[in-house]
Amino acid sequence: MNEKNKYNKADVLIVGAGPAGLACAIHLKKKNPRLDICLIEKAADLGNHNLSGAVLEPEPLHTLLDEACPQWKNTDQAKEILAQKVQKDNIMFCLGKKISFNISFVIKLAKILHLGFGQMLHKDDYIVSVSELTKWLGSIARNLDIELLTGFAAEDVFLDNQNGSVVSVKLVDQGLDKKGEKQPNYIPGEKIHADFIVLAEGCDGLVTESFIEKAKLQRKSPQLYSVGVKELIKVSQSQYEKFTSSRVVHAMGYPLWRPLIGPAMFGGGIIYPARKNHIAVGIIVGADWIYKDFNPQDALTLFKNHSFVGKFIRNGSVVEAGAKMIPEAGLYAVPNDPKTGTIGKANCIITGDSAGFVNMLKIKGLHNAIYSGIYAADAIAENINSPQFTALRYTELIKKSKLYEEMLSAANFRQTVAKFGPLIGLPLSAIADLLPRFKVEQDTKSMTAAEYKLKPNQQFDKDTFAAMADTQHREEQPSHLKILDTEICKQKCTPIYDSPCITFCPAEVYEIIRNEVKPANPSNCLHCKTCQIKCPLDNIRWTAPEGAGGPRYKRM
Amino acid sequence: MSNYIVLVKQVPDVSQITDNAFDLETGTLIRTRLKSVINELDTQALAMADQMKHQNGDEHSKIICLTMGPPMAQEVLKYALGRRVDDAVLLTDKTLGGADTVATANPLAFAVKKIVREFFNNNDDYYVICGMQSVDGDTAQVPPQIAEELNLPCIAYVTDVAYKDNRFEFTGIIAGGSQTVAVKKPPAVITVAEHKYPLFATFADARKAEKMDITQWNSPDINAELIGVNGSKTSVIRVFPPGKSIRKKQKLENTQSLAKIIQQKSKSRTPESARKNNAQKLYRLPKNRVAKFNRSFEATKKENEDFKILSDTLKKLNITDINRINRSTKEQILDVAGKHFHKKALDDMLNGLELTNSTFKGDVWVVAEHDGREIHPATFELIGKAAALANSLGVNTGVCLAGANLKKMTEKIIHAGPDKIYLIEHQLLEQFDPAAYRKAVADCIGSHLPQIVLFAATPRGRMLAPMVSYRLGCGLTADCTSLDITDRSRTRNIGILLQTRPALGGNVMASICTKNSKIQMATARPGVFKMPDKPLNGKGKIIKHKIKLEHSDRSIDIIKTSVAPGEVNLNTEIIVSGGKGMQNRDNYEKLVGSLCEAIKQNLDVTIEKGASRAAVEHGLADRVRQVGQTGTAVKPKIYIALGISGAIQHMIGIANAETIIAVNSDPNAPIFKQSDYYIVGTVEQKIPELVKYLNLQNQNE
Repeated sequence: MNEKNKYNKADVLIVGAGPAGLACAIHLKKKNPRLDICLIEKAADLGNHNLSGAVLEPEPLHTLLDEACPQWKNTDQAKEILAQKVQKDNIMFCLGKKISFNISFVIKLAKILHLGFGQMLHKDDYIVSVSELTKWLGSIARNLDIELLTGFAAEDVFLDNQNGSVVSVKLVDQGLDKKGEKQPNYIPGEKIHADFIVLAEGCDGLVTESFIEKAKLQRKSPQLYSVGVKELIKVSQSQYEKFTSSRVVHAMGYPLWRPLIGPAMFGGGIIYPARKNHIAVGIIVGADWIYKDFNPQDALTLFKNHSFVGKFIRNGSVVEAGAKMIPEAGLYAVPNDPKTGTIGKANCIITGDSAGFVNMLKIKGLHNAIYSGIYAADAIAENINSPQFTALRYTELIKKSKLYEEMLSAANFRQTVAKFGPLIGLPLSAIADLLPRFKVEQDTKSMTAAEYKLKPNQQFDKDTFAAMADTQHREEQPSHLKILDTEICKQKCTPIYDSPCITFCPAEVYEIIRNEVKPANPSNCLHCKTCQIKCPLDNIRWTAPEGAGGPRYKRM
Repeated sequence: MSNYIVLVKQVPDVSQITDNAFDLETGTLIRTRLKSVINELDTQALAMADQMKHQNGDEHSKIICLTMGPPMAQEVLKYALGRRVDDAVLLTDKTLGGADTVATANPLAFAVKKIVREFFNNNDDYYVICGMQSVDGDTAQVPPQIAEELNLPCIAYVTDVAYKDNRFEFTGIIAGGSQTVAVKKPPAVITVAEHKYPLFATFADARKAEKMDITQWNSPDINAELIGVNGSKTSVIRVFPPGKSIRKKQKLENTQSLAKIIQQKSKSRTPESARKNNAQKLYRLPKNRVAKFNRSFEATKKENEDFKILSDTLKKLNITDINRINRSTKEQILDVAGKHFHKKALDDMLNGLELTNSTFKGDVWVVAEHDGREIHPATFELIGKAAALANSLGVNTGVCLAGANLKKMTEKIIHAGPDKIYLIEHQLLEQFDPAAYRKAVADCIGSHLPQIVLFAATPRGRMLAPMVSYRLGCGLTADCTSLDITDRSRTRNIGILLQTRPALGGNVMASICTKNSKIQMATARPGVFKMPDKPLNGKGKIIKHKIKLEHSDRSIDIIKTSVAPGEVNLNTEIIVSGGKGMQNRDNYEKLVGSLCEAIKQNLDVTIEKGASRAAVEHGLADRVRQVGQTGTAVKPKIYIALGISGAIQHMIGIANAETIIAVNSDPNAPIFKQSDYYIVGTVEQKIPELVKYLNLQNQNE
């Protein structure tokens, strides 16, 4: 084997260095130190593309690290990252701009009654930044001699036609100019070969979706998404003390949902404290919203101005901002092989958000992402000499796990809401696990010509938002956002829906230039992929730009 | 077969500097708050080396990457190894730490020699390729100093290279144009100002780099002469946050408000002097001060305070003669002032008080810069500054002028009124060849021994000064924005030059003094010192300095010099500059042109078109219009940057503008953080709107 080929082959290739991928690498290295484990990550640095609330259930972290890094609890990093334990857990219901009341007792009652959404309590969990968590897990991985290469974006997989195994993963071409012409520094995307492939790309993974198609995996229900937008705000000492560093607030109602008289959207607001006088405020909205002129950032503005929220953040300065999608359809949307039921196929397995292991009753997926990475590692370790059975073993391990149990309990929740809308769906979801599985439509089909009634007067300042996400791409490259057919935009979208991509893209990527909708500012892209899901005519494709591009989240 | 050594440096990522990255008390950078990255221009040097290797077509030639730094600096070597570099060497040793540019260049030069011996089998057909400067220090001194130590030709500010007739032809930036040159014979040192196609990492190389054991050399391995703090010729006295240069960073939502601001600001009549803190009292040597123990010109506040307490104490104790202080009087002094300083400090201070004459001897000089026809305006600014320094020290002002056919230029210098003019006239100095010039100028300085020598921090001055100072074994501070005479009595230094310069991309200021040197040397940015209002009253005595130059003293062949036609005067009240965001020359002409026209029509101001380096490199504008560190440094009332990202070299060149306005479509454009007002949007959309409002505004009045 010549030298070049030697380095283009690893024993295990993990696509995506988020919590799932890193957990898999760390656990696997501990089980089998001789394995050549290689992680690739499209972000320039660890944690840069990771955004979440986030509230973390700590058990999987113990499972992972007690073994791999016994002293972990005493490290400065662990103490800093796990500094905030949830002590107060508020669920607020907002009615209009000023009124709010605490409905936590409903959830507590639900818990006593063993109803599904009793799971929504977060006491004793930790408030973490997933960017920081990822960076920390990455440094543990590096200390264990795991190869972790940032700035490499993958775009596709190649399968062996005979046995369906994945042979290689292809990286993105680098050094093309805007028109796609090769510049002097052009390098074609390399193909990386590996015995085992772990897909841990996060929500709506590019390689994962290609793999699902090529390996003919199926989802019982289409994946349903939510879009989250979040700002990290530096507030005054007294505001921070008033809020406290150990309290989480989840808000329902205004401005997303006003029964009968206003908009009806699934989702809500979050207020989480972060270290050193910072408070994170976010809005999560089900991507099946119907309003052509709705933008989650508008809801964020309204939420921030609500009197309950405002008092904690008024006059604060936004230090970071970002957007991301959450896969919410739960167990029925986990892709698997229609014959064998495997989550993945042969030597290739799907983990974390790429698989869709988010429990909507808890509104959490981070713990499951870590668990799935651990099971992936176990499955690989047990099949070193028979890679083709890895996906099978992985699926067995998942099905025996707590992860599966809780996913099963939440399995019908999001679909119930999607089917009946929040007004009827939410109460109904209390007994969702008793109901049959509903047929739901993809988010892309939900858009109508309806208008959002609470739209704020002032346009949201997306430029500053994108700047606060610190996003950056090499300018001279082909747009990684593709409009498949501009005629569809002109004929079918603009007349009915008013080109909603211009509104819903949180980073103002889309613009009308000479009467044509164009991804005019691809370098603003936050890699949230909302456009791909929310285009009413399914006419946009998000592809991977050159590695190291994208947002640079630090504490999101 | 040519080989290549690329020098890279690990630097803090100054583009990511946040407000909390500095200790506000001391102005020092909290290194852990900033990521360490490879110096951007060094990535372009890597690309240049790779291009040369391919142009040369020799498969066996090698690119070796060298860095000096702490062990973690091997990260930048891994970066390079992931991008087709063949091998890498990390020079690391505790004893190398704390070095200035001299004590950096010297060990690097010795490491280069060792690489040539051990990697190239003593084959001396090699090129040392470096980024023009680093973002943390931005002195651009190390490469020319390495060239000086190795006695090699140095070609600076290279933007392109071609391989013709079996040799490399380098095209680089010169004032107002570009020049293509070739070295007579390799080896040579090349500094890169721009390479448009930085290399991408490949997965295979990046993995290989991760697994590789990188060669490490320690100090004893290279046996360098000048290392670490002890080998340095300058020392940093204090670091502090930059004063009022903080820009407003105000985002404007529409072009209408921008039109208003342009109108208001164009009317401001703030005299330039009001912006500078001129309240400083004039330095006098201790022997000329009224109060005998007056030591109020120390370099730090603490020392001034200590000396004040000491002089008050001496007064209280009725001590007037330093030499009569014995053990018991010292006890008395300590009794009174003991809580302020201890015995050792008192001894040092008393020793310092004995000195009343300046530590350095000789005149204050300026090395004149010219293009063969005209003296560069910065020379006259420096003559004014030199006269002020000389006045404080009670010495003469001298100007050193080297070249051929100097008659006309000499007259201009005489008119400026320095005391002495040192002329080095030689036909081999007709064109600027760094090797010949540095020899001539260093010889002249070395034989007359002034105490201070100032150079303009132009592209040429920034190459010549480090070579000359290194050759004379003297320290040099680059790009000073303020030069003052100070005392450091406790270290027995009286009447020395305090050289203050911005560092870390202008985020901190550092005050520096020369040490272990016979002469104090500094370069100063054009435009920071005021052009003297009237000529000095020096006699202008001419001293001819004879120099022996041979053809072998020339190191380069000048193949082509292109200075863009037409004179452009960037000394106007408003400058409208276009960057790469203009896309093409037509757009540049149309948009920049229309805005200039609208301002000229509606407001009573002088105006000129400028351009960023990127715009010039892409052919959107002529080189004469280039604003920035490698172009012209400007100080208009309003600087309007259209489609300019705000590279650090550009921002340095406009640092003295009163108001900076930026229009850019990238909400992350670094220029926004350093401008007073900005608008996010494409220039194609915003400029026509702005023009419309400027016109409307005028009609309404």
